Amino acid sequence: MSCQKYSGWLTDAALGELRAEREPELLAHATECDACREALSQARAEYEFVDRGVEALVAGEPSPHFATNLRRRIAQETESLRSPWMAWAPIIAGALALAAVLAITIAHRHFRSEPNPSVASSVSPVSAPSEAATASLASPQLAQRKEGKHGAERTTQARSRTTALPEIIVPKGQLSAAAQLSAAIVTGRVDGNQLLAAQQESEKPLEMKPIEILPMEIPVIDDATEKPANSIEF
Amino acid sequence: MDALAASFPGSALSRDESLAREFEQRLADCPKLAYRVALGVMHNTAEAEDVAQEAMLRAYRSFHRLRDRERFRGWLVRMAFRLALDRIRAKGRRERHEYDATLATLSAQPEASVENLVASREFERQVAQALDALPAKLRIVMVLAAIEGYNTREVANLAGLPEGTVKSRLFLARKKLAESLQCLVKNTPAG
Repeated sequence: MSCQKYSGWLTDAALGELRAEREPELLAHATECDACREALSQARAEYEFVDRGVEALVAGEPSPHFATNLRRRIAQETESLRSPWMAWAPIIAGALALAAVLAITIAHRHFRSEPNPSVASSVSPVSAPSEAATASLASPQLAQRKEGKHGAERTTQARSRTTALPEIIVPKGQLSAAAQLSAAIVTGRVDGNQLLAAQQESEKPLEMKPIEILPMEIPVIDDATEKPANSIEF
Repeated sequence: MDALAASFPGSALSRDESLAREFEQRLADCPKLAYRVALGVMHNTAEAEDVAQEAMLRAYRSFHRLRDRERFRGWLVRMAFRLALDRIRAKGRRERHEYDATLATLSAQPEASVENLVASREFERQVAQALDALPAKLRIVMVLAAIEGYNTREVANLAGLPEGTVKSRLFLARKKLAESLQCLVKNTPAG
């Protein structure tokens, strides 16, 4: 029973944290009880072992150059702070960051307003039986769009791109229709040559044919009745 | 020292030789403390020295607020400890895997004598791993108590904690360490 009571004090005693009034009582018991004496001794050895382990871990000295290196670092830091350019460094860094953000924003907007080349190129392998056909299919829409929005310069750029890469540019929302048409041409469901011919036909200038006007027939007037012979009476 | 005096930041302090002299005094006795605290966390001499340098550099920057010697030491200890923890976190778990590999080695030699164990590199690694497993608040008091045998009051001053808190944390830390190192401490001869 008494051993049970003292077993809870052993750890505290081993760690030197046992209350002062309890320590003599425990030690008195330990002198009489071999098991408790052994347990106390073991606990003390264990914690001493742990302490020695941690002490060994933190034992050591900084290198002899520690102070020299530190002074050098302090000098470097002070020097950099004293440099006139360094006073402007945060401002310059902030301005550069702002410029970068602005550039990214402008570029982002620019690419959003431009037709997406990646979409065009992804459509082109499916949609283009020949570059010429594609270019001729795309050109009226392209020209209309470009002239309306971006002017002649961009139209020229777009045309040169059209000749360089097979491209279909469609108004917003009709991309799927264009893709379907391209797929249909490739699979043969729609005759591309026929479409091309129809397109070329529609682009031909209108022929002005002279209209033949026949001379009017003047009916013979009956002198007696003063009515035409074939006139209808109401 | 003149160079150091001239290098103190701030116009009011730029020529303050007494401040520089005081910092030189700290430079004579404090780096060892910062280094050992960092070593207790990093377990690597080069990295511990780097952390101690960084802590001293930061102390230098704030030295006009840390002129009191005890305050300076406590601040430096906590800064070194925090910097070391940050470095360890940044490094990730790479080194822990190294320790894991040594566990098997230790378990395989339970008959090794205490003296050999304490002296061995493997033992250090085992203790380091057990120490790393402690919560930071227990670890710092354990490390400080192990440095030059600081007593509870000194540890309390350095850690900026009440003495009672330090006592209870030290008690808990030792118990946890003993549990972690159970396979080793069970073989220690009593008395």
